[in-house]
Amino acid sequence: MAEDERILMAAENLKQGLELGPIFYVVSAEQADKFSRTLGCTNPLFTADAPPGSRLAPPTMRLQDYALLIAAHFKGGSGGVHAKHWTEFHEPVRVGQAVRTAGRITRTWHRRGKFYFELEYETCDAVSGQLLTRQAITAILLRGGEMR
Amino acid sequence: MNDGPAGEELISASYPLGHEAAKAYADSVESPPRYRRENIHSDAEAARRAGFAAPIAAGEHVYALVAQFLADRFGLAFLRGGRLAVTFIKPVPYGDRLTVHARPVRAGNAELEVWVENQRHERVVTGEARLSKER
Repeated sequence: MAEDERILMAAENLKQGLELGPIFYVVSAEQADKFSRTLGCTNPLFTADAPPGSRLAPPTMRLQDYALLIAAHFKGGSGGVHAKHWTEFHEPVRVGQAVRTAGRITRTWHRRGKFYFELEYETCDAVSGQLLTRQAITAILLRGGEMR
Repeated sequence: MNDGPAGEELISASYPLGHEAAKAYADSVESPPRYRRENIHSDAEAARRAGFAAPIAAGEHVYALVAQFLADRFGLAFLRGGRLAVTFIKPVPYGDRLTVHARPVRAGNAELEVWVENQRHERVVTGEARLSKER
């Protein structure tokens, strides 16, 4: 069995400038179906009613790519609490599109006894490199399960 | 959905964020295996240790409601060249009913104030959005 070379998800290992990823995937119609249903979305832009090849993925369907980037690099830890999020929507993501997501830790800081980090990540078309979304999560790292 | 003229507040339909909706959301996103263990969204003890009275809804789920509301209302003017930025200011316990609100900073303006309220009219998320010139 291959050794797990990931490092512990801990404040001392979350370094500003640390590059994460890339990850690659194809935007799934099945996931778009589930995600749209969860939000009660009936907009034909995002549902199976869209003309073939034109269906868009709901705009935040792949927001959790940040978690996949983290999990590919880090192990353990007790997660975090979402404090802020921003997204630039450059080009709609399409169902069936092959995409590449990569990110980096852009900032870390302490405030009122809590450790914060910002992770900025970009999703691009895997073939053309066209930028689709750029976004960032700011989270409070839980240490031992606590916000400290 | 309240869909007033430019300058007036837009309000979404009420969204009940209970355990079923949370599970459906968790099942609809691709999460790393660790996320499927007990965490602040699914386990009372984990939530308590993190300082919450009970498990809370994922911030991403609430963010998704805001983004979808803006995408449905403004289409490509939001999806191509738009921007959304929020702060999660209050935890959302399961059972809360949420409404998304958006109001142009000035009538006809592409800059919007956005927020999410619970059924007690408390703001749980605040932020801003920007539309592109493609309208």
